[in-house]
Amino acid sequence: MASCPPLGHLATERFSLAELRIRIPRINDSAWDYQTLSRIWNEARSASPGRQVLFDFTDCMFIRPNAVVVLGGLCRMILREGGSVLFLASTMSASVLSVLQQNGFAHAMGASDVPWPGNAIPYREYSSPERDAIVTSLRADWLGRGWISVSDALADAIMGQVWELFTNAFEHGKSPIGVISCGQFFPKSRELLLSIADFGIGIPANVSLYRGADCSGSEAMSAAFKRGFTTSNATYPRGMGLDLVKEFVQKANGCLEIFSYGGHARIDAHGERYQTIPPVFDGTLVQIKIQCDDRFYRLSNELDQSFF
Amino acid sequence: MYLNVSQLVGENAMTLHDGEQVFRSIHDPLLHGDTVELDFEGVRVFASPFFNAGIGALLQDLPAEALKSRLKIAHISDSGARVMRRVIDNAKEFYSSSSAHREAISTIATDTGNSMR
Repeated sequence: MASCPPLGHLATERFSLAELRIRIPRINDSAWDYQTLSRIWNEARSASPGRQVLFDFTDCMFIRPNAVVVLGGLCRMILREGGSVLFLASTMSASVLSVLQQNGFAHAMGASDVPWPGNAIPYREYSSPERDAIVTSLRADWLGRGWISVSDALADAIMGQVWELFTNAFEHGKSPIGVISCGQFFPKSRELLLSIADFGIGIPANVSLYRGADCSGSEAMSAAFKRGFTTSNATYPRGMGLDLVKEFVQKANGCLEIFSYGGHARIDAHGERYQTIPPVFDGTLVQIKIQCDDRFYRLSNELDQSFF
Repeated sequence: MYLNVSQLVGENAMTLHDGEQVFRSIHDPLLHGDTVELDFEGVRVFASPFFNAGIGALLQDLPAEALKSRLKIAHISDSGARVMRRVIDNAKEFYSSSSAHREAISTIATDTGNSMR
């Protein structure tokens, strides 16, 4: 993939009409924050071809993985279409700069900073569903960091569930720039957060195409979580991925959120909610939050029952 | 017939391709009435695409009762068993439906139970 100029490439900030400056505020994961992401996405995507987009972090004191993966995708889309992007490191607070250096976002965007182990799950860009690379990364960068007390068996089970999300992103997303992931461990709450984004046609369009009729965002998201529902034309049964992840997350007291164009789904121990919303960006963002302790999991032993 | 799955696909049994490799190895022997033992020793991570292509697809040609007696599963983890069971339940439903019914199911307007609405 082409890379951006280094973070903070502009030592002196002189701007011309060919430049579009976008301010990035603090971005968390409330509805307001997703509206903010939407505003940033639309503003940058509306820039005329070839214009340089500058991201100014003066007002940003905190940034979460959801915003990091969307900003990464936004950068790749602009570059793909011949534009250029500059993340102004000189406008970043020490904590935001540290987060973006630590998780490897800065390095991926062309900065020379080498990421370091911390509480970040590294920023990764995958151009294809590289099974072993993704599993190795999840094992080494996510579950194998000594943050959490889960058994090897549970770690493997969690990886299987996360793979379901990756494979969905690759198979159904048709993303022109691949799939991007990034995460964070929060020591106080002992929560692991992982965000996965693709920049393809999204769930509502896939479901509408498959049905041959438009459907609302909430209808599409609800359909995607139904056991056995698939937009694939395979001759064998499909459509188990999101249903399995839903069950896993609910049993594990975690939370799964998906934003896909005008569709939003939120799954947690209290239930499931599907909504039609204004699109956040052109793609699908999956955010999974899990508790890092065996006592939250009740993996039932089903081995004594017949499979067929 | 004995098949060590980890020797065929490694420790991650996750993709459609992984499952298709298993399917190609066991489909014909099962169809001819042989007993097959699938040994999952050494396989750590499982995902539904693997089981859809490797096990669920068998139900197109073989009834569940035949598979129950001919296909032996050994050394599978709890989480693998959970995913496999869901996939088999789904495959039974899928192949028991006529193609017209399958189409109809996929186009039914969705309205799942929603305790948060």
